[in-house]
Amino acid sequence: MTDNRKVKVEVNNLTKKFGDLLVLDNISFNIKEGELLCVVGPTGCGKTTFLNLLSCLIEPTCGDLLIGGEPANPRKHNLAFVFQEPSSFPWLTVEKNIGFGLDVKRWPAKKKKERINKIISLMGLEQVRHLYPHQLSASTDQRQVIGRAFAMNPDLLLMDEPYGQMDIKMRYYLEDEVVRLWKELGTTVVFITHNIEEAVYLAERILILSNKPARIKEEIIIDLPRPRGIADPKLVEIRKYVTEQIKWW
Amino acid sequence: MSVENGKIKLELENISKSYKVKKKDFLVVDNISLEVCKNEFLVLLGPGLSGKTVLLNIIAGIEEPSSGKIFLDGEQIYGTHRSICMVFQKIGLLPWKTVMGNTEIGLKLSGVPKRIRRKTAQKFIEMVGLKGFENAYPHQLSGGMKQRVGIARAYTNNPDILILDEPFGQLDAQTRYSMQDEILRIWEIQKKTIIFVTNNIEEAIYLGERIILFGKCPAKVKEVYDIKLQRPRNNMDPDFLKLRKLISSNMDIDLGV
Amino acid sequence: METKKTRFIKKAFYLLLSLSSIALLIIGWIFLASRRPGLFPSPQETWDRLILFLEKPLRGPLYKHVWDSLRRVVIAVAAACGLGVIFGTALGWSRLFKSTFGTIFEIIRPIPPIAWVPLITIWFGIGEFPKILLVFIGTFAIVVINTAAGVMMAEPLYLAVGKIFQANNFQMIREIVLPASIPAIFAGIRTALGVGWAIVLAAEMLGSISGTGFLIARGMQIGDTALIFICMFIIGIIGALLSLFASFIERRVCPWRTEK
Repeated sequence: MTDNRKVKVEVNNLTKKFGDLLVLDNISFNIKEGELLCVVGPTGCGKTTFLNLLSCLIEPTCGDLLIGGEPANPRKHNLAFVFQEPSSFPWLTVEKNIGFGLDVKRWPAKKKKERINKIISLMGLEQVRHLYPHQLSASTDQRQVIGRAFAMNPDLLLMDEPYGQMDIKMRYYLEDEVVRLWKELGTTVVFITHNIEEAVYLAERILILSNKPARIKEEIIIDLPRPRGIADPKLVEIRKYVTEQIKWW
Repeated sequence: MSVENGKIKLELENISKSYKVKKKDFLVVDNISLEVCKNEFLVLLGPGLSGKTVLLNIIAGIEEPSSGKIFLDGEQIYGTHRSICMVFQKIGLLPWKTVMGNTEIGLKLSGVPKRIRRKTAQKFIEMVGLKGFENAYPHQLSGGMKQRVGIARAYTNNPDILILDEPFGQLDAQTRYSMQDEILRIWEIQKKTIIFVTNNIEEAIYLGERIILFGKCPAKVKEVYDIKLQRPRNNMDPDFLKLRKLISSNMDIDLGV
Repeated sequence: METKKTRFIKKAFYLLLSLSSIALLIIGWIFLASRRPGLFPSPQETWDRLILFLEKPLRGPLYKHVWDSLRRVVIAVAAACGLGVIFGTALGWSRLFKSTFGTIFEIIRPIPPIAWVPLITIWFGIGEFPKILLVFIGTFAIVVINTAAGVMMAEPLYLAVGKIFQANNFQMIREIVLPASIPAIFAGIRTALGVGWAIVLAAEMLGSISGTGFLIARGMQIGDTALIFICMFIIGIIGALLSLFASFIERRVCPWRTEK
């Protein structure tokens, strides 16, 4: 199956050193528009540094990052980030939290309302739209953060182990939700996780990072139809393969 | 009861717990009765916030049940007991004590003389693979290492029953897998009765001889599963995955506010 | 892209800013001094007065006065810490203790140390003991409150660990509650040192024949503003050193506080 989507994000020769410590070593890859890419790697390999570079929180030592052909600029480009812990604003309701990015970018009121309603209905958050974060469970709180990220139509949506702390049944539900949002809204998503099964379940493509200094060890394309089943032998095979590739213990 | 020795070590009879929240009674544990066999690896599985931790605290003795009784070796017990030790989810290593200081604390509090307790603690520090780290402080250790100290600390106290409350919940997936093998290895060397709490189906099936499935809060026994898979188990085996699908379909999901 | 060069320039810039602000302060000082010669001594006059004092001491050399003040504070604060930690721990840990002694404590505590000066002077005169007592009264409460707060806020997880491993009451306090409360206790000690220093000066100003407070009072009586300036500088430096000392001790006592 050929992929006719155009390239949205280009990463060229990305290298990061902290003093003498080489953390990321000459990483180059592309992300297509609307692609769901998962990044996996061993503990402490520099995944967080990698994400921080992609989201322009820190500067690379050398190499560059292009979004839509232009150098990545947080002021011009829309970059959304979902952290491991819920990062919602405690003084805003669910509705206002989801609309936060839109407020900042000054969307016109009607468009904003439509967008917020769309996200809320896609995620089934109708019952809680007027509640505050402290009235929500941790998983619902995290879901509204994800809704907020998707709502602002970002050029690039980065997720750093957003479901790490949740129980497994909730994870299944949330993974399905992310796939649903992604399909409906066509956002370009980079999802970082430790959980190989999660990566294989979600991704169109998986990037495997090596141990520090991090390099791209391998790239795997996952062509399985959705919805995917965790007991599906093909998925299990890919999962076995990826697990082999990151064996370090 | 399909476990080896068949002898009943711990028995819970009609344990219930409720808290008063703003003048209303909030039921967290709902009339639980269960039996734990000697030296079995029992897993309590349930969604987050299902009240499992409160149940564990009641068994360990740091919380009192609102009603019900607990029997250890046939005798009723109240509060904490020498034979029941806990490994906490948040690890709970005392930051002002070294690895050795933390590991030997149970014996120290019981008045065991220094030389003897040091020897015992040393044995378990080596058993969990932390030889050489005796004088390190907790803040110098990684999450996995800290949890291993937690396990060594509990083992050093020589309890009959070891309770582990989602001990690997804070760890990343890869460390989690290696710790699962670790706890099984330790359990094979020093057989004890283990009650292991988790919200992760894969972990439950990988570790447990028996799985007790809990529903949403309030905690109630939903189903009991006997796991007959051979060890070492493989979490990508077709039998394993079938079992996983079965149990998963029975698990509740709490989308609540 | 941030290179070593840009980082260096940034650092140099901030350093320059700090130095400039100090220079500006000194210039301001000289300027004010020139405007009000009698009331505001210039840096030069202050320095001259210092030299004069070292040649012709006033009721004892300068270092003796500083030492007297310091000694009073250290003795009083040491006593306040020793007794305060014990009292504070009991207050935080035992409900029984809190109901009986805590109430009395809460009634006496709000009275500021300065208000005690007349009574203590009548009872004990103007010797060493009354001053030490005054500092003690002021700092005891601080140590108690901080210690009690530390004890009451001890991490429940650690208390649960103690309970599971069968610690009795005494062991809980010694092995778990006290170490867990050390940060709060040291916060109390640092505050106590600062406040104690202020109290001793006030006590010395109101009736003493030695100490830095006494020198300031003398300076005020004879209009010797330069002398007052000198004393204020010394007081500030000592205050800062006391604070550093407390932090140093805390770092030695708590090697586990160095979080990465």
